[in-house]
Amino acid sequence: MASSAPAELQTAMRDRSVAGRLGPAALRLLVILIYAFLLGPILIIVVTSFDPTTAGAFPPRGFSLHWYGEFLRSDNFTSAFEFSLYLGVCASICATLIGFVTAYAIVRFLGQKREIGQSLALLPAIVPQILTSISLLLALTFVPFPAFAALLAGHVIICLPFTIAGITASLDGVDAQLEAAALTLGASRLRVLWEVVVPLAAPGILSALIFAFIVSFGDVYIALFLSGPGMTTLPVEIFSYVNWESTPVVAAITSLQVLLILVLGLTVERLVGLRKIMRF
Amino acid sequence: MQETGRGFGAALLTPITLFYLVFLIAPISFFLVMSVFKYDAFLLYKPVLTGENFTRLLFDSYYRAIVGQTLKVAALTTLFSLLLGYPLAYVLTRTQSAWRGVLLFLVIAPLMTGIIVRTYGWIVLLGAQGLVNGTLVASGIIDRPLKILGTETAVVVALVHILMPYMVFPLFSGLAAQDPNLERAASTLGAGRARIFFEITLPLSRSGIVMGSVLVFTLAAGAVVTPALLGGKNVQMLGQTIYDLVLHTLNWPLASAVALVLVFLQLSIIFVYLRSSRRGVVRAR
Repeated sequence: MASSAPAELQTAMRDRSVAGRLGPAALRLLVILIYAFLLGPILIIVVTSFDPTTAGAFPPRGFSLHWYGEFLRSDNFTSAFEFSLYLGVCASICATLIGFVTAYAIVRFLGQKREIGQSLALLPAIVPQILTSISLLLALTFVPFPAFAALLAGHVIICLPFTIAGITASLDGVDAQLEAAALTLGASRLRVLWEVVVPLAAPGILSALIFAFIVSFGDVYIALFLSGPGMTTLPVEIFSYVNWESTPVVAAITSLQVLLILVLGLTVERLVGLRKIMRF
Repeated sequence: MQETGRGFGAALLTPITLFYLVFLIAPISFFLVMSVFKYDAFLLYKPVLTGENFTRLLFDSYYRAIVGQTLKVAALTTLFSLLLGYPLAYVLTRTQSAWRGVLLFLVIAPLMTGIIVRTYGWIVLLGAQGLVNGTLVASGIIDRPLKILGTETAVVVALVHILMPYMVFPLFSGLAAQDPNLERAASTLGAGRARIFFEITLPLSRSGIVMGSVLVFTLAAGAVVTPALLGGKNVQMLGQTIYDLVLHTLNWPLASAVALVLVFLQLSIIFVYLRSSRRGVVRAR
């Protein structure tokens, strides 16, 4: 991709970069190699998934959809896929609801303390996920609540920093005067929230929802400890499968996952831009 | 209205406060407290204070080796992420290309696919019949496929791949926020490109480097899945140790002590980095 824009890249580098002296070509080559490194392992999976043999060899020895069929025939993998979808939908809805009210409070009511509120909201992102997960498992042994609730809570927790960041960013673009006007005209706070704020922040809220789904769907650390019979997520199913054997059926599944994530990611990028949610 | 507003704001913050307290802070506090409890094969733990979990970690060479390997893998991962992430972030902030958005998306996209997908990619790449060995054998550099899977190298390579975006983002923010006039001024005053880079661009991106390194180091030190799948028996890190102690050995108090060691390592690295960055700022003045 980097090579597709040689003219601009070259000018930019000739102007200001240290590599200008080494020649912009060197830096451009380096960046192309870095992209190959970043994307290569994922592209390899997609290519391997069409290989008809069991070896998962590269380059592939033919083209077939054999492993995709194998995936559809495998009860373990299809039910894990369905469970991951279900968990992702539940977790993203919860994380978006809680994230929205939190973000709204941070933007409109915290004033000077906004920075503190924002940092506290990001707490789960700092805690090692394995710790969050084990602690929830431990809590389960003492407080009898359904195992699914613990798994869901864990997923909501790791999604919340992203939904809060994304919705906060989009609420910053909503004019507070509109809310003040609605209040003056006699609307209740809840009505203002539902009829003014939600519609105006809709792209941000929808993006948060989709991104939370992506986070939940890709998670392995939380589910590693909290998965149980009948509630194994796809990543955990793949993890335990790959621990014993490795056939391209995993390549087929992960290719489907990559496709799904790519479509969702592009949607978020179109709606508000992924950078807002990733906070950089 | 101001008053009702404040009440409303507090009400809005209630769900998250409760949620974090109940599902994050309370369970983690309880788990970490367990590190000073005695191990019991039937009850998980006995609420009797003891220091034996920590003495075991400090004096048993098995656990010391695990701490050593965790530090080594995390440090190497951080170093290579920085070496690869810096030029990438630099070019991404400086390029005028119409493809800039696409290029940024391609850095974020791998991150979204999840850890398992990318780890599996490396299993395919580094396997005996994978692309790396296939190329090396075909080109006659080696006769037999190298055993790359199941080594520390495989783990570091994959962790760099998985965690590098976390290095790029803060670097990108830092580099993008720099005033381009500083570099132009230095250039006008006759500084060469190398001097501009080392005396202006690099020092000003220090906070991005610190932020990115802390993130990558912390995440690498806590890795479980990638070391387990790519390192096998040859790589033992703190994350897997906690995993085994919790799910297989069922020694929760010791698992808790190992987790505390992990948290301690992560906090100390944050502390060291913050100190070094503050000193840097003072010196720059």
